Amino acid sequence: MILSTAELRPKAQSAEGRSNKHPGENVLRKKFLMLALGLASVFSIAACTEKLESGTACPLLCPQQAAELKDTTIDAIVYDTTISGLPPIGAERYLMLASHGDTLETRAIVRFDTLPQTFTGGASTDSIIAKLDTAMLVVPIVKPDSAHRPKTAITIEAYNVDSIPADSGASTLPTDTVASVLATFFRPNRLLGSKTFAPESLLDTLRIPLQPDSVLDRVVGGKRLRVGFRLIAPAGQGYDLRIGTTSTSTPVTLRMIASKDTAAKPVLVTPLSSTPKDQSFLAGPLADYSIVLKGSSAGTNQLIAVGGVPSRRSLLRFNLPSRIVDSTTIVRASLLLTQTPNRRVAIKDSIFVFPTAVLAQSGTAITDVRTLLEFVGFAGQFGLDSLKMAPGDSGVRSFEIVSLVRTWRGTTAAVSPREVALRTTTEGQTPGQVDFFSIEAAPGLRPRLRLTYVPQTSFGLP
Amino acid sequence: MMSRNLLAAAAAVVALSSPAFAQANLSTQGYGFPTGQFSTRTWGTGGSLAELDPLSPINPASVALHPTRLVNFQIEPEFRTVSSANGTERTTTARYPNVFGALPIGGNMVVAFGASTLLDRTSTTVFNTTQFLNAKDSVPMSTRYRIDGAMADVRLALGYNAKSWLRLGVGAHAITGHNLVAITQSFNDSSFTSFEQSLVLGFSGAAASAGVQLVGKSFSAGLSARAGGDLKVSVEDTTLARAKVPTRFGASLAYTGIANSAIAIRTSKDNWSSLGDLGTNGLKGVDSWDSSIGADIAGPKMGSRILFLRGGFRTRTLPFQANGHDVTENSVTGGFGTTFANGRVLTDFATIYARRSADNVPANEHAWTLSIGIAVRP
Repeated sequence: MILSTAELRPKAQSAEGRSNKHPGENVLRKKFLMLALGLASVFSIAACTEKLESGTACPLLCPQQAAELKDTTIDAIVYDTTISGLPPIGAERYLMLASHGDTLETRAIVRFDTLPQTFTGGASTDSIIAKLDTAMLVVPIVKPDSAHRPKTAITIEAYNVDSIPADSGASTLPTDTVASVLATFFRPNRLLGSKTFAPESLLDTLRIPLQPDSVLDRVVGGKRLRVGFRLIAPAGQGYDLRIGTTSTSTPVTLRMIASKDTAAKPVLVTPLSSTPKDQSFLAGPLADYSIVLKGSSAGTNQLIAVGGVPSRRSLLRFNLPSRIVDSTTIVRASLLLTQTPNRRVAIKDSIFVFPTAVLAQSGTAITDVRTLLEFVGFAGQFGLDSLKMAPGDSGVRSFEIVSLVRTWRGTTAAVSPREVALRTTTEGQTPGQVDFFSIEAAPGLRPRLRLTYVPQTSFGLP
Repeated sequence: MMSRNLLAAAAAVVALSSPAFAQANLSTQGYGFPTGQFSTRTWGTGGSLAELDPLSPINPASVALHPTRLVNFQIEPEFRTVSSANGTERTTTARYPNVFGALPIGGNMVVAFGASTLLDRTSTTVFNTTQFLNAKDSVPMSTRYRIDGAMADVRLALGYNAKSWLRLGVGAHAITGHNLVAITQSFNDSSFTSFEQSLVLGFSGAAASAGVQLVGKSFSAGLSARAGGDLKVSVEDTTLARAKVPTRFGASLAYTGIANSAIAIRTSKDNWSSLGDLGTNGLKGVDSWDSSIGADIAGPKMGSRILFLRGGFRTRTLPFQANGHDVTENSVTGGFGTTFANGRVLTDFATIYARRSADNVPANEHAWTLSIGIAVRP
């Protein structure tokens, strides 16, 4: 009977087996093939790719499916401040050479503290430099676009700003980065060379010839050559340039030709600083840097700022309710800042402002805000995007920081500081400064944080 | 004070209420689709042989029919089409609903151990909505729910051949399994970040069953019942809800007066409403009847082996409502089976065409299911 599964009992010998005793191999092969075919069919069907996605019949057959979002805007910033002079001197990616009349004046300093005293002659032999045919500074710049070219020619002058020789006045080695001291070296008897550039000639590289005798004196005497650049813009027109640095591997280079022999190779010298002595960690960045002679802007406690001269960074510290940070899933976190116009300089030149994480632990470990703001992330880190704005603009700006706020979940402030730093992508390179109202401003203008989150739900149960 | 009380009450409502989860089809509502725990052979007959078939883990008394040790395995892909006012879509679900082994232990007794799917919840639903954050702000959102897993019935059964006309059986059931639930919500607005939440719901419960088979000259009958014990659903160590395993009783009557053939009818009642406490307030299980009629007829011979041909019809109410209405399923089945390797391998194929609908729900569903079963005597 079928219900007894009798067909599963072993048979003594099947009729099929008896009749095919001699061609038994063929019978077994057929049975094996049939079984293999059956198994292959089974596994072929089993390997059918699942296609599970559906949803056309929603919401009829799947009501109330979407998790509800909650949205709130809170005064979560408990502390904010702006620190001037960041990045520190020597850490600029480009040197800002600016001339905006009484509003702003900066200079660029490049140090060649070691000058070679030999050159490779025509026969590939080294010879002592006894004379110089030409000496030139090769200055890489950020090529200005058509909107940022000067209207008329500009002049760049190069001065010897070394503290030696004796007519250096009150300058001593410990003050060799002080702007007020260095400013005294930009005088006619220290002029090394200059060149005037027509607007269309401002390409990727500028070449400024130097007085060969002045340079030769430094070479032969084993002295340092420290060059200070000054930009002279036409009256009534402000202008600024960005000069390459050792940080970007596009530094100013001194090029000397010591022989009229065309086979002689030019001597190329890259910037190097030897002071402070025996402190290479501090000396290295001082190979090239900017100083501000005029126009340092002062802040007020009603404002926080980024960019400007000297460059600024701002710090905002949050106090967020744990019931939101730790117990929900945040899908949007917008830092709302109200920009107020800064009309000092370059008011229409857009710059990119970006939020970034503070990577150092504040509190007992580091209490100095300046130090905290030196340990911050770079543009785009943690998925934090920048916003483009001009110093002269105004209005509410929304910085999306959800990817950073999410990292605070389940951690203490000691592990993940509830802090955000604001920076510009061109800090120290361009003069524009963007101002926002701080927590000291009127209530409607203060920084705020908007959060959109999904509360915890007991999902999964039908 | 009053506004604070109102706020507290509103918060409580928000905290207690959870979205009622359903899938975009009629058959996997609630905790999922009941595959029926049928063997492929029984599927071919529409389910009418369920209380009599030793390859179906329904009646523990049928275990006694196994004359020798045996391993059984089954696969059942389902090709489903759902039609609604918004359009038609097709899905494919792979299922492995039944696996067990049996072993005679002497004294006219056979023990069997295996697992079968009680409720399969595997599905993925994707849809778009607009979230209103406040009076002025809204955001389009895409939601994707993926649920993988099933509630399984692991049974240890003992069958006893008491007489040539009487078989008895008992079974102990552990209700196990899990649902992996993953929700992904994404946004076109770049100021929003997508997120995913997932958890694993685990099931644990127990039940017991007993059954009897009566074998006559021209008729055979099988009756069985399952008594449900406690059932709970939990996430890791936290119990979310408790309920009872559904009780079930069923009966099959087969005419076996034709050699190597059977014409059978069956009915069964499942107490799915006992699962109502296992979900949110919106979950409603439906006590349902499952009735079928079918035949398993000896067909042509292929050499020395017989090719068995099967057909049947089944009607039942699915365990969970859709949009507040009972879902009815009617299916037509067909199949065949034979042996290989000198009777050591039994292979069965079945095709099930099912139509599902619910009153006052403007959607319908039909599905083709292929069932392939292989039983091997090692």
